[in-house]
Amino acid sequence: MRLGRWAWLLLLPLLCVLGLFLFGLGELVWSSFNGPDGPGLDLYRQFFARADYIDVLIRTLWVAGLTTVVSLFISYPVAYFIARFQGRRDWLLVLILLPWLVSVVVRTYGWIVILGNRGLLNGFLGWLGVIDSPLRLLFNTTGVVIGLVHVFCPFMILAILAVFLQLERALEEASMSLGAGPLETFRRVVLPLSLPGVISGVMLVYLMSTGAIITPLLLGGLRDRMLGTQIYQEMFQLFDFPKAATLAVILTATAFLVVLPLQWLERRVSRNLKGAA
Amino acid sequence: MTAWIVAHRTIVAAVLLFLPAPIIIVILSSFTKAGYIGFPPGELSLRWYAEFFSSADWLATLGLSTLLAALAAMLSTFVTFLGALAVTRQRLPMTQGLETLILLPLIFPHAALGVIMLGLVGIFGWTGNFLGLLLAHFILTIPYAWRPIVAAMRKHDLAVEEAAMSLGAPPFYTFRKVTLPLLRPGLVTALLFTFIISFDEVTVSLFLVGPDLSTLPVKIFSTIQDSGSPVIAAISAILIGFTIAIVFLLDRVIGLELFVAAEQRRKPTA
Amino acid sequence: MAQPDTLLTLDGVVKTFGRHRAVDGVSLAVRRGEFLTLLGPSGCGKTTILRMVAGFEHPDSGTIAIDGKPIQGIPPYRRPIGLVFQNLALFPHLTVGENIAFGLRVRRQPAETIARSVDEALALVELSGYGERRVHELSGGQRQRVALARALVIRPAVMLLDEPLGALDLKLRRQLQLELKQIQQRTGTTFIFVTHDQEEAITMSDRIAVMNGGRVEQLDTADRVYNRPTTEFVATFVGDTNLLTGRVSSVAGPTATVSVPVLGRDVPAPAGDARAGTGVRLSIRPENVRFADSASPWRMDARVLEVVYAGAAHRYTVEAGEARLLVAAPASPGTAPLAVGQRVALTWAADDAVLLAPPAGSPGR
Repeated sequence: MRLGRWAWLLLLPLLCVLGLFLFGLGELVWSSFNGPDGPGLDLYRQFFARADYIDVLIRTLWVAGLTTVVSLFISYPVAYFIARFQGRRDWLLVLILLPWLVSVVVRTYGWIVILGNRGLLNGFLGWLGVIDSPLRLLFNTTGVVIGLVHVFCPFMILAILAVFLQLERALEEASMSLGAGPLETFRRVVLPLSLPGVISGVMLVYLMSTGAIITPLLLGGLRDRMLGTQIYQEMFQLFDFPKAATLAVILTATAFLVVLPLQWLERRVSRNLKGAA
Repeated sequence: MTAWIVAHRTIVAAVLLFLPAPIIIVILSSFTKAGYIGFPPGELSLRWYAEFFSSADWLATLGLSTLLAALAAMLSTFVTFLGALAVTRQRLPMTQGLETLILLPLIFPHAALGVIMLGLVGIFGWTGNFLGLLLAHFILTIPYAWRPIVAAMRKHDLAVEEAAMSLGAPPFYTFRKVTLPLLRPGLVTALLFTFIISFDEVTVSLFLVGPDLSTLPVKIFSTIQDSGSPVIAAISAILIGFTIAIVFLLDRVIGLELFVAAEQRRKPTA
Repeated sequence: MAQPDTLLTLDGVVKTFGRHRAVDGVSLAVRRGEFLTLLGPSGCGKTTILRMVAGFEHPDSGTIAIDGKPIQGIPPYRRPIGLVFQNLALFPHLTVGENIAFGLRVRRQPAETIARSVDEALALVELSGYGERRVHELSGGQRQRVALARALVIRPAVMLLDEPLGALDLKLRRQLQLELKQIQQRTGTTFIFVTHDQEEAITMSDRIAVMNGGRVEQLDTADRVYNRPTTEFVATFVGDTNLLTGRVSSVAGPTATVSVPVLGRDVPAPAGDARAGTGVRLSIRPENVRFADSASPWRMDARVLEVVYAGAAHRYTVEAGEARLLVAAPASPGTAPLAVGQRVALTWAADDAVLLAPPAGSPGR
């Protein structure tokens, strides 16, 4: 059915909603330039003048980076395994999708139960007699990274898996028939062809880890503030919307600073792989 | 060589244990009798479920979250459906740009999204009320509705409609009897997916709840911070049950594998 | 059983997938330098044989040997084979030149040697100057040649080709068949080619193994497979034929007389080792059925039922006795075809008919 001019009418509600989002975004940026002393860069200057904020910024980058790297290293083998699994793949996918769709807050709570000082892991290790005093797994960076990896690595697995599912088995066989052993085949064929999935997974996980609030608040210590938790505090303990807006803009900027080059890279890599499917 | 295989299998096994671990632990610990959760688990009981179901407060929150998720899912699926019809059938200028815009909320860090939504909702005077939450969830779930619906529409061959009309079916009849049934799997996927995204959303909601209004995940969050009572485990187990039901439905509607593929074409492209 | 010029042997190879016997006791001896085609309908086991030779599948029983040495347990990447896949499986992330260089790089050959070999390979498949192109910029036929060059450049003892021309249109396909054959002859490489297209098999092959249901029905030269099929399956799968059921009534020297009830008469056929009194199936190709003239030693009456003009020939369906026969007669310009309903007299030379072994279950050849 041709729609003609009706097309714009159908699109209108969607455009309105998206317009609202853009308006909110504009409002955010606007507020960040409007400190108590009138328009200007005051709020940004204040941010970069405070050593504790810089600390928070650096910790955010560090935690997000670590989460991304760990997620990548554990997700890649899993994605490959699932893609090459001969049996009922649905059951493996459930193991990934189900945790992915369970609320962050529920999963984080699970980690408190497991990792806490009186939690299951310490209880179990103590019961075995392996440790005398509980390991400190919670309320520090370790806890935050474990929690964030758990929350975000399904994104990474799915991103890489999507590429693997399109990868023809015959390409690996072709490589072997030309004399490349399994490791060589992996290095020369599988790895380069999976790069688009790796890049988009890295982008997603990094982006989302920078903006996390729940996991660092619940699993991190008082010193483990990240930009997200800082924004939450400015907002609900200090009720300072302009400052929160400034932090949000800085957060978004730090995220994009990493994501945009990656996106460029992904586009380049994908172009080289055109016709791979 | 074999060492590599062993290493690979070990990592895979570890991750496949790691992912469901907290969920299984939460379900198991919801049956504890004690006032705290530890190892070994001790006696079993349903007392925390009883506590949940006898608390009007918790039940009201559950009801609110369900209502919110259902409304947000229906709104975003419907609006996305209309927009996707236009985009897939009409050669519109800047379709690429439009798609980027639609997926934009996906590529913002959640904490930033929270502040954006708070500012936006404040303009309407909806801070801390249901409409504010609904608006935010509506915007947030649109990208999740977009992919399955557009994928279904692109897969759908317009020649089928032309065939129907050449057989004498008027446009609206064709739409009802041919187009809509063919798009149903995509629409159901969008509904289920947006529902679960909204139902589980916590970071952005955190900015929008008020003193008398909270979603279930936010209330769980504040309860963990305040008391850590095992009633949380019981509620979490119920939430997990919801999720399992939806994953099961998704598997039935499209199959999980297709779901992965469709989901991945949703890669943010900004 | 291995003759001196035998390169690859399969001996009693069996492969089952679940309950399906994909390959059911195949023995083959492939000669050095020959172009051997495995021909059969889809699911006959021909691709499975190729994959077992390549090392991607393993036989349940039986042995595969190259140069008399069993290759069981040798992984695909250490076998002296080159493989051209059905869908080509060119590496999309590499250029044409890098695709061809792949096997040489894996073998850690020096850069200059690789560059030279790649140029030679490109020249061999007439793609000189295409080394820097990306695979997706090539046409179907060009990709085909890259796949061939990539496998040939590692100088395999055996080239395995799995329906590599299947996706191309007819004209290009014919052209590439010839090129492929030329390249095979020029390089002297042993080719094992898999196809379901009998015409392709006949055009290209030195020998054809006709397969059905996981077994080799006949292994012979293209000419003999077409003109001297040994089983009913081979006779019907390779080209059109008329099949008639009858009984040998007498044998006189090289010629047998077969009484065919549906024709209501006796017809001649080569005797072979047929004995009088046995039931047989007689196969006669449409183009071997001729219109009789005064010199014909025998003739039978028939009536034209249908005429189809097929380019170089007219194909007639005629009724003789109670049988319907296909007859193909060359169409010469200016001559009008026979009309429907016209009465004609048919004949054939005794040598053009073939008596087939009784169907399935018996060891042929």
